[in-house]
Order: sequence, then structure tokens, then C-alpha cells
Amino acid sequence: MSYAMIRAVVVEWLDDQYHFGDAEKLIGGNDELSFLDRAILDSLGFVKLVVHLEDLYRIKIDRKNLTRVNFDGMKKIVTYVLSHKDYRGPR
Amino acid sequence: MSTMMFAADMERAETSAMRAFRRVCEAATGLKLDDYQVFHDFSVGSFREFWDLLLQSSGLLYEGSRDPVCTSEDMEHGVFFPDVRLNYVENLLRHADADPDRVAVRACTESGEPVVLTRGELRTRVARLASALRRRGVVPGDRVVALARNTADTTVACLAALSLGAIWSSVGTDLEAELVLARFKPLRPKVLMAHTQFPYQGRTTSLVERVGTLTAGLQSLELLVSLDQDLDVGVPGQVSHGAIADLESEEPEARFEAPRFPFNHPLFILFSSGTTGAPKCIIHGAGGTLLEHDKELRLHTDLRQEDRLFVHTSAGWMMWNWQLSALLTGAELVLYDGAVSYPEADALWKLIGREGVTAFCTSPAYLHYCRDSGVVPKEQADLSSLRLMLSTGAVLFDAQYDWVAENVKPLALHSISGGTDILGCFVMGHPELPVYRGESPCVGLGFDVRALPPPPGTTGTMVPPPSEGLVGDLICATPFPSRPIGFFEDADGTKLHDAYFAEHRGVWTHGDRIELTVRGTARILGRTDGVLNVLGLRIGPAEIYHVLQEFPEITAAMALEQQAPREPGGSRMILLVVLAKGAVLDRALTLRVKKALRSKASLAHVPAVIASVSALAVTRNGKESVAAARAALNGHPVRNLGALRNPECLDEIRNHPALRLASD
Repeated sequence: MSYAMIRAVVVEWLDDQYHFGDAEKLIGGNDELSFLDRAILDSLGFVKLVVHLEDLYRIKIDRKNLTRVNFDGMKKIVTYVLSHKDYRGPR
Repeated sequence: MSTMMFAADMERAETSAMRAFRRVCEAATGLKLDDYQVFHDFSVGSFREFWDLLLQSSGLLYEGSRDPVCTSEDMEHGVFFPDVRLNYVENLLRHADADPDRVAVRACTESGEPVVLTRGELRTRVARLASALRRRGVVPGDRVVALARNTADTTVACLAALSLGAIWSSVGTDLEAELVLARFKPLRPKVLMAHTQFPYQGRTTSLVERVGTLTAGLQSLELLVSLDQDLDVGVPGQVSHGAIADLESEEPEARFEAPRFPFNHPLFILFSSGTTGAPKCIIHGAGGTLLEHDKELRLHTDLRQEDRLFVHTSAGWMMWNWQLSALLTGAELVLYDGAVSYPEADALWKLIGREGVTAFCTSPAYLHYCRDSGVVPKEQADLSSLRLMLSTGAVLFDAQYDWVAENVKPLALHSISGGTDILGCFVMGHPELPVYRGESPCVGLGFDVRALPPPPGTTGTMVPPPSEGLVGDLICATPFPSRPIGFFEDADGTKLHDAYFAEHRGVWTHGDRIELTVRGTARILGRTDGVLNVLGLRIGPAEIYHVLQEFPEITAAMALEQQAPREPGGSRMILLVVLAKGAVLDRALTLRVKKALRSKASLAHVPAVIASVSALAVTRNGKESVAAARAALNGHPVRNLGALRNPECLDEIRNHPALRLASD
């Protein structure tokens, strides 16, 4: 499972939940972009995304790690999932 | 059998208004009412005497004769206190004389210091704005509508309008213009009050365009009052406009006036969107609201002058109107406008600590969010002031009682439920009763709540058989003063009848399913009709179907609520669609539908899943059966299977891969 595949999962989820086809346009190819600053996701949305990723990848994300440093932006989210110790790919 | 989570604080109960009122009733009747079931039976069995004693002993300001208490035993037509006159706002602000410097309102935002109004300041601001509105021609019965945030200015604006006898109706800033117009246009409002900007999650969104759309769409409008800054929103020539601060400053000498109106003078108009047609405009009367809220807030919630009540609500939910009435008790209102999770996930708990909140009313969806985001309130905020929590808007699950006990503190957690239709609560707390996991402590005094139909061999009354509780449709069988006085533009009462009195003749049918337990507690089990409750928000499917009309690919649709324990609020919205010949529900169409619902209704109207089916369940009379489809979706037995023309379509729902939950 590559960076690109997890990224696609996140984009699909953003489209399903909040942006309905516009997620890629909002990210604008910049995976370093802050989701919070650009209103791509609010903190409630982050929690929903985390639950979705936990379900999909059978991982447990420590809520203490749910910080802007670790999670605010596409690159950070995908990198976090890829580096999770229990990550084995999707269900 | 449920576990007791919290025993009543009997020392506090001894000095409660509930205890004092019970003694008043005992003295007046000679009855012994220390058993709550007996007290409740008295309150419905002798309902005239009960409501008369409550009005007498409440300390509410009124004039006129309390006789007759109610003109009829028929709850659809009975009128309470036709010869009493009062002013709702006079009653809310009556404590200003005794202690004008005591705080009445603390309005908090995501950042900065709260706006604090003392009782005296609140009354002065209300008087000034009311005077300015009067000077501009606002008279009793005029509709004043608002697109408003939950701020101190909104509180002032509402009280000013109501003090004049105008009727207030507000929506929150989450609704898009089309839905706001669908609600406000039928009211033919004279005044629109509006915020022009909306700070949320650290950013500010302009509402100017939306306010402009509303102003242009409301032909009856004569005045636009900005609740923050005065902006030119392209106001049509006949509409004057000004900012709330400017209007108040025009009237520095204004004194608070409170002309008294009939007990059933219209006060609030709330909206209920159903499964068909436009939203219903429900009119609530001043006296009924006042008396019911006095009972709920002063007696059942035991609010006192030293309390600070924080209800987490927008200005568009009935809980906003409900919490406003807490001024009656002398308690302080703590308002919050902003995101629940900004700047951090524990923002509301920090607010509780900072502002010394004693009673916090929230929702199952918010508690779910706190659990999912790893918030442990007791470790992250000072909760020493907090003595009571209330939860409403959806079913509060057993595990959430445990979560509160473990992560907040051991305290009374009251699951309260009623709603927009009665602007109050059928089931709620009681200072003398314990709290059991998953159960509301009691049925409210004066509400003759029953579960229908009763099981064979029982009467279906409040007193259940000894060994088990009653489960059924929530009905109320005795008149109560907070019954809506009508729907707007429903002179002969047909719409009111159809909404509440058609299903069970002569009694109020609420649309909820309820369990009444042997110990007198209650569990609300969800809706019985097609109205959806998603994230604690009530969604009328009619508003979804209206948007879908622009999609020729969709020939029929049905929105349903699916129980989903992992979702905030415990459920999610499913949209079943039947496609036109040749159409395909691909990802592009799914996203277009969602996007249309988001832009023309609100994010809450967007379904979690859209699933294509070959047909919707239809009865032999040709009527779509939401009940059958919902039962199939949730794995429940279908009660009316024999009445269906196409029962085979339910298997398609049961086996649809898109409708399986993550944990399936």
C-alpha cells in the first residue's frame, strides 16, 4: 500500500463527507497544506476521519497524537498511517 | 434491570422548589403526595387544580382571573387561563428590581472575554431597543424573524421584540438562504434581525450575501436590524436598516415597559419540517410557555439564583428558547457561539470551568465526539462548580452514562426529551429522584404520558403492570398549557389536527416511541414517523425531496434513519433512490446529489449513504411505507408486511451491500 493509495482514500472520504467532488481542487496538489487553516476540515471532522481510518486499517490512533503537528494536512495524515506500528493495509 | 447511577441529593432536595410546591399541593388538597407517582397522578387527574396551584405559587406576574383554568377536557380545543393577562419578558426580567447588579447573561465566543450583562443592563438594553422598534411601527402580533448567532445581542433583540407583543422566530446560521426563506416567507415578517458575519473555528464567514437574499425575498419586510455591524446588503428601498447598537443609542431615556397580553398571546414560532410539504410554523403562546418552563426549570431542574446554566445550542433550536426562560429563575445564562472543538477538543469543558457553570445541557452527539476525540474532562478542566448535566436531542445510550460518570464526575445526568412541538419536555429530571442508567428520571408533572397501544390486558395508563414496563407510541391524554396555540395560517386548525390529533382521537400523538418502566422512569426509543434525527438534529425529509426534484435521474426517494452505534448521535441518514431508466448511481451522481443538498439545505441534510433500489416499499393503497423500509434497514420485524404491495423490495434493503455498517 503506497502513499498514493492512502491519499486517495482520504480524498474520497473528504469528498463523501464534506466537499462532494471538490476536495482535490481545495488541496490544490499541495499535500503540505493545513486542512484547518484552509477550512478543508474542522476539528470535529478530524475526529471523524480518524475513526474512519481506524476502522479501515484496523489501527488504533492514540488521541494524544491527534495534534496539528501529526495530523493537519494530507502528507502528515498519510505518513502517520503508513508509519503506524499496526498498519497492515485495509480490511 | 438498570443500575442506579446517581442517588438524589436529599439535603439539596429538602430546600428545592419542587419540595416546596409539593407541600403547597398537599396543603391545598389534603392529599399525601410524597410518592412521585402519586404526585404525578394528581397533576394529571386533577389537572385544573394542579395548573392553578402552579400559577398561584410560581411568583409569576399576571393579572385577571385564574378561573376558568381550562375551558374544556378536550385537549385539542381546551384553552388555558383565557382571562389571565401577562407579559413573558416582564416575568423574565423581574429579578432586575431586587438585584440589578447581579449577572444575567455571560455570552462567550471562541476567543476573547465574554460579554457580561447584569440584570439591570439587560433590562435597559431591552427597553431601549424595544422603544426603537416601537417608534418604527412594530406592534403586537408583528413577526420579527432572525438569522442569528447565540450571542448577548440576540438575547436582547428577542426580549425587546417579545416585550412589545411581537412574535419571535429565529434560525441559526447553519441554514442556507433557500431553507430560511421557506421558513420565514409564510410568516410575512415586518422585521429581520441578522448577524452579518459568523466566526467559527477561528475564521470569520460573511453572511452578507445570505442576508441580502433574505431581504430581497421577504416582500413584507420594513426593517432590517444588523445584530453586529451595519452593512449595506443591497436593501430594497422600502426597507430601513440599522445596527442594533445604533437603534439602542437613539433611545437613551427609554424605560422598560411591559404591556400585558392574553395568556395565549403568540410568543414564538418554531419550525417542524416533516415528510411532506413546507415546514410547519408552530405557534407557541406566552402563558403556556412561561408556565411550562417555570415548571421544568425551577421545579424539575431545580435551577436557583446561584446557578449558571449553559445550554449548548444554536439560536435555531427550541433549546435556545427553553434556556432563555431560565432567566425566570434568577439563574445566569451562559451562552456560547462557536465551534465545540476550538481551539481544542475540550473547549466546552474549559468554558464550564472558566465560567463556573453549574448546569450543563448537551447532546449524545457531543458526548460521543468527546469520547472519540479522547477528551477526559475531569483531567482537562476544573469541573468543581458543575452539579448537573442534561442531555437532549437524541437517545442517550447506557454507555454514555458510564462515560460521564468515569470521565466527567459522578453527578446527576438527566436525559430530557420533548421537543419543538411542545417547546418543552415530556420526560426529564427531578431533584428528589435517582438517576438510572439509560432512563429519564420521570415523566414531567402535568403530562399524562402513556404508551399506546397498550399490551393486551393492561390499560395503557401511567401505572404499568407490576412486572414489566410499557412500550408504545408516546401520547399525552390530558390538556396541557404548552400545547401549540396553532399553526401559522391554519385558521380552522386542520393542520394542527392532522399533525397531532388524527392518529389517536382526542389525545396528543407525539411521534416518539417510549418505554415507561415499572419504577416510573422512561426511555425514549426514537421516532415513530418519517422524521429523521441525525446528530441530534431533526431533519424533515421533505426538504431533501424538494432538492432532489432537480435530478431527472431520480424518480423516487426515501430518506431513512439507520441505527449506527459508532456514529455520533447513534444513527446515520440513508437515502434510497429509484433511478430513471438508463440512469446509473455512479460516484459522479452521488457527489452531485450530496453537493446540491449541502448548498441548498445544509450539511445536516446530506445523507451518509445513497443507495439505489429497484422500488420503494408501497402499501396496497399506494402510499410509501417508511415504517416498513426503516424496520428492514434496521433489522427489525416489519409490522405491516401484509399491507405492502411489494414486500420483496425489503429484502433488497436488508441485503444491500452499501447499507451494511462498518461493524457488520
